Amino acid sequence: MAQVLIVDDSSTVRTEVSEFLKASGMSVTVAVDGKDGLDKLRADSGIKLVVSDVNMPNMDGLTMAEKIRGELNNSAVNIIMLTTENSPVMKERGKAAGIKGWIVKPFNGASVVATFKKLAS
Amino acid sequence: MTIRQRIVLLVVLTFAAIAAIGGYAVVQSRANAAEVRLVTEGVVPSTLASADLMARLKDVQQTVMALVFAPDDNTATQAADTLKAQQAALSQSLQQQQRQASNDTQIKLVQQARQSMANYFGAIEDTRNFKQSGQQEIAAATLFASVAQYQGELEQIVQTLRVEKNRSKDAAIAALNHNLDRTVRTVSGVTLIAAILLSAVGLLLYRQIARPIGQMQTMMTGIAASQDFSQRLPADRKDEIGRSMVAFNAMIEQIQTSSALLRQKTADIQSMLQHMPQGILTVQTGSIIHPEYSAYLSTIFETTDIAGRHVMDVVFSNTNLSADALAQVDAVWGACIDEDAMNFEFNQHLMVGEVEKTMADGRVKVLDLNWSPITDELGNTARMMLCVRDVTELRKLALEASDQRRELEMIGEVLAVRQDKFHDFIIGTLRFVDDNEILIRETAERQIAVVDQLFRNMHTIKGNARTYGLNHLTSVVHEAEQSYDNLRQPQPVIVWDQQQLLAELAAVRAAVTHYARINEVSLGRKGAGQNTPAPDRYVMVDKAQILDTLHRLEHVNTNNLHELIAARDAVRKTLRLLGTETLPHMLSSVTDSLPGLAHELDKAAPLVVFADEGYVMPAHAGYLLKNVFMHLMRNALDHGLEAPDTRLAVGKPATGTLAVGVTVQGGKLHITLEDDGRGLALGKIKEIAAHKGLIAPDTRLNDDETANLVFLPGFSTAQSVTEISGRGVGMDAVRDFIKREHGDIAIRFTDQAEGAPFRQFATVVTLPESFVVQIDAPLARPPERESVPV
Repeated sequence: MAQVLIVDDSSTVRTEVSEFLKASGMSVTVAVDGKDGLDKLRADSGIKLVVSDVNMPNMDGLTMAEKIRGELNNSAVNIIMLTTENSPVMKERGKAAGIKGWIVKPFNGASVVATFKKLAS
Repeated sequence: MTIRQRIVLLVVLTFAAIAAIGGYAVVQSRANAAEVRLVTEGVVPSTLASADLMARLKDVQQTVMALVFAPDDNTATQAADTLKAQQAALSQSLQQQQRQASNDTQIKLVQQARQSMANYFGAIEDTRNFKQSGQQEIAAATLFASVAQYQGELEQIVQTLRVEKNRSKDAAIAALNHNLDRTVRTVSGVTLIAAILLSAVGLLLYRQIARPIGQMQTMMTGIAASQDFSQRLPADRKDEIGRSMVAFNAMIEQIQTSSALLRQKTADIQSMLQHMPQGILTVQTGSIIHPEYSAYLSTIFETTDIAGRHVMDVVFSNTNLSADALAQVDAVWGACIDEDAMNFEFNQHLMVGEVEKTMADGRVKVLDLNWSPITDELGNTARMMLCVRDVTELRKLALEASDQRRELEMIGEVLAVRQDKFHDFIIGTLRFVDDNEILIRETAERQIAVVDQLFRNMHTIKGNARTYGLNHLTSVVHEAEQSYDNLRQPQPVIVWDQQQLLAELAAVRAAVTHYARINEVSLGRKGAGQNTPAPDRYVMVDKAQILDTLHRLEHVNTNNLHELIAARDAVRKTLRLLGTETLPHMLSSVTDSLPGLAHELDKAAPLVVFADEGYVMPAHAGYLLKNVFMHLMRNALDHGLEAPDTRLAVGKPATGTLAVGVTVQGGKLHITLEDDGRGLALGKIKEIAAHKGLIAPDTRLNDDETANLVFLPGFSTAQSVTEISGRGVGMDAVRDFIKREHGDIAIRFTDQAEGAPFRQFATVVTLPESFVVQIDAPLARPPERESVPV
């Protein structure tokens, strides 16, 4: 059982973010792409918050978000995107997939931890 | 009357009307029913009975006939019985008729009928008797004679009674019909009147209710349509409508207040946006700048083409942000606008607080950016607000302030060292620096011996600097010393780099030179000074003033332009105050001597009042001013101020006053001295001048010319021009002394009494610019002056 799922193809980002969240007292599990993310989410019903990269091989973050809502029929989990850009098309897809937040990289833990804890509880 | 009361009244009236009409109808119908009963049960049967009488009479007649002409006794007896019964019935009928007689005529007729019937039956009795006695013919004759006669009479009466009964019946029916008619008419009439009355009352009440409601509605609609919330409904009614109007007026009042407030707020915001010296813009979906932004933005970005443009183009183009930083900022807008407010928090670390923007002509502006979200009721960020401040000047000032702070601290440090010691320290330090420079230049590669020498020299400088507390020098020296120390090690981290070492040394030299310059220029302590320096060579510095200023600099908010300017000015003031004195302080030896002199002259010690407006004098003015004012004040005490008795006699206080004023005009310092004595004795002056042969006895002079005689050589008993501080020194000597310093002295009358024997005057000493210490604002004098002699 983990509270937060971190999905990123970059091991650096995965490590950085998960170490930070663990240090803040949250339980974390990681996935390397959208497909892996969906599997992890299927396997662990305790996940309340997904923090995902957008651009990833196999399955990108937005597609994964859409599948979480569609295939998995999971409307409860909070999804936050880590991104480097933000286009109207992305925003529209994000809205449809119920994406709660956009964090422009580089990720800065200090300002998000309180909100993350709220979203993951 | 309230509406409720009106409606209740209307209902009550309606009930009353219905009850009245109904009651009346009931009463009437009851009366009519009684009459109908009377007619149907009395009059009509009685009439019918009267008609029966005729028939009975006929029956009696036939029976009589049958009796008279009965063939046998049996038949006759039978007839006689029938007759008896018929008589009884007839008699009963007549009795009934009598009972039912409705008037005297009928009663009389019935009585007549009874009488006639008695006669009739009497005749019949006679006839029967004749018959019984067998006298058939007589019986027949009697029958046709008296019986027939009585029968005819009776028939006549009964006929009359029947007619009378018929007439009476018709009259009763007519009366009944009349009554019914009247009842119908009355009920109709009452109903009609009630209907009219109720309608009238109803209409009245309707008008009283509906009309004001209609009016109220019209006015409310009018107010709503015109949005003129200054209108009020006439709330002079006491009913529900009146109360509604009062409530409506209260609501309108509230709306008026709110809308006025809203208008005011909108106007305030507009005015703020127009006039505030700060750039404010909001960014909406698509990172586009909203059309409403503060006017000052045009000043900052030097363009009016702002609304509807991409915020990145207007604010962030041509700034010192890297391409990557720009891309991050660009993405931040999209990540926040139209998204949950928490995204602002998520991305806050990317919202840059300061950028340097290069303008079209190459000037660089430092812009301070403040970001904030404007959230809607759903908690989403509808727009982002960006406050832009041009802090170019502020940053410059902050830099200036920190420079000045350093300068001030260095002055403090220098002042703490005795002049001769400081001089020696500078000389010695520069010698070490020179040594090191030569050593470095002559050495191409690292040599331990050289490095050791360099280190020793620099270490000595550092030790000395520390001893004297020259902290700003110590830190620079420390850096150079560290380099040498490193190079001294068997495995140095740095390499022998002549240029680098020379640069470090140059920094040390610059710091030392800076201290030396402060000592010589700012503090005027050129040279080694003397072991026991003359008092005039002291530099008087108010320690508290320096500490105050330093404290102020430490706590200044470098983001506040006004605070920075104030701090900078305070430092300037302090720097300028170094080596200055206030006039009261400078002249204290003179003023202290006045009581003694007053005693000698049998006068009260004068009150000396200074109005120096916060101006201070450079220390070098002390010698001149002390000597000049010693003379002027003594003159005033001796010749101007009267003895206490004389003063009291003319209504002046026993103690005289000397007033010293300071002004700066046209860059020159003017110091005035006035006394409240008897004034300038112009006659006496002229007399002395004539007596001493300075003017011909009959010379005509105006008051100014006369006053100027005092400055003529030989007017007073002056013995020497150099020793002027004593008594008996002439004003000509004073003037010469002042003129040597490029100043002047004059007498200026302060009254308009041309030609009077005594005139009020002021002595004005004018000194050149070098005597003026310009400070930005008048200074509050510190309560205690702790002077630090150096």
